[in-house]
Amino acid sequence: MGNISEFKYWRFCAWNGPVFMFVFIAFWGLMGHNIPPWNPETPAAVVANWFRADANLIRTGMVMGMTFAVCYCVWGLAIGRVMGKIVGKDSLLVDLQVWGAGLTVVPLLVSTSFWLAGAYRPAALPDEILQLLFDWAWLLIDLAYSVTTVQLFAAGVAFLQDKRPVPLVPKWLAWYGIWVGFMFIAECLMPFFKTGAFARDGILNFWIEFSIWFVWAPLLTVYILKAITRLEQEARG
Amino acid sequence: MRLDTGEGVLSLTVPVHAEQDRLPGDPGVWLFITADVFVFGLFFLLFSLGRVAHPALYERSRLVLNPTLGLANTLILLTSSWFMVRAVTAAREGARRRVMRNIALAMAVGSVFAVTKIIEYSAKIHAGITMLSNEFFTYYFVFTGIHFLHYIIGMVVLMICFHKAKTQPIDGNYVVWIESSGCYWHMVDLLWVVLFPMLYLLRAA
Repeated sequence: MGNISEFKYWRFCAWNGPVFMFVFIAFWGLMGHNIPPWNPETPAAVVANWFRADANLIRTGMVMGMTFAVCYCVWGLAIGRVMGKIVGKDSLLVDLQVWGAGLTVVPLLVSTSFWLAGAYRPAALPDEILQLLFDWAWLLIDLAYSVTTVQLFAAGVAFLQDKRPVPLVPKWLAWYGIWVGFMFIAECLMPFFKTGAFARDGILNFWIEFSIWFVWAPLLTVYILKAITRLEQEARG
Repeated sequence: MRLDTGEGVLSLTVPVHAEQDRLPGDPGVWLFITADVFVFGLFFLLFSLGRVAHPALYERSRLVLNPTLGLANTLILLTSSWFMVRAVTAAREGARRRVMRNIALAMAVGSVFAVTKIIEYSAKIHAGITMLSNEFFTYYFVFTGIHFLHYIIGMVVLMICFHKAKTQPIDGNYVVWIESSGCYWHMVDLLWVVLFPMLYLLRAA
């Protein structure tokens, strides 16, 4: 690498991952009543009353979610730089991972805007419209899984090609990421169910699917930060 | 089991003994397999809880399934896996032609599974039974559907193994590849071996 000081930007980008995770749990998740979400069979009046009673809370949660959604893409760029040191910066795998991370921001932004739209003037909207906005946001955020799967697959395949005696990212984590990307396909079931394990608040489609990603992402961040330190030391010679 | 000639058995004895302390294939694949088995374990738990809550519904629905096709699928997958074992053994001995022949047989036998599953799914759908008919059929279609997806991935992996055997040296790297693929293929069997009795055979207490 020509400029050693570049690594501090890599590190900054990598830290965007934890920032994104914290903001989404705290603001989108807890403040926005998305951990767990309303059960799909919850009456429209209940969802609408929540929009009206907690409008400012939801507005704050979604504004923060929209503001920090871009951190996911920035985090993906740091992963891409480390991948580039394994498979070459011109590798298609790097592009796929970065595009996957970048495109993941789109459903995050659009779906949070639906929740925000519901909280903007809830008193003027009928119950069913508010319920629709809540449903629509969830359908989008869940069914857009495939763009994130592209990121997970590309990163996993690249990390498996690391020939170092001690790989920058362990192979088991690469395989785990591929598995998480594969498991996301279960989200396809979500629109067909309003109760049970496959509903949006069900054990599989919410608790398992989100949890397995939330194991992968922090672990990967730890190894990306370690990898940046190693690469920086190698560059310093 | 004597899979080969005397020469083959002799050459198997040493490496198998020496390999007793290591997992076959890439250790990372085992994480994938373990995670997958864990999720299917959760599926089986969900099914069991549902069955305890609604025994009459589950029993009535179970009787609609065709256990003969289920048994046929079990035998198909186990036979296919047996050919895969033979392919792995051949790869360890560097016998390219036997590797290719056994993978081809594993794929040929395995492909019948897709035919029987399509027949089975078509019959259910024509009878008006879908994933949304009741809780039993939700689990039936979802679990066997996800299993079928694993099967398709397995068939693609077998094709890659065959292509590699045809075009690349049968060396240590290839052995890791085929062992990993074999482990995955056996997992597809294992999941079916649990799904079959659970869905088709288990009677209400």
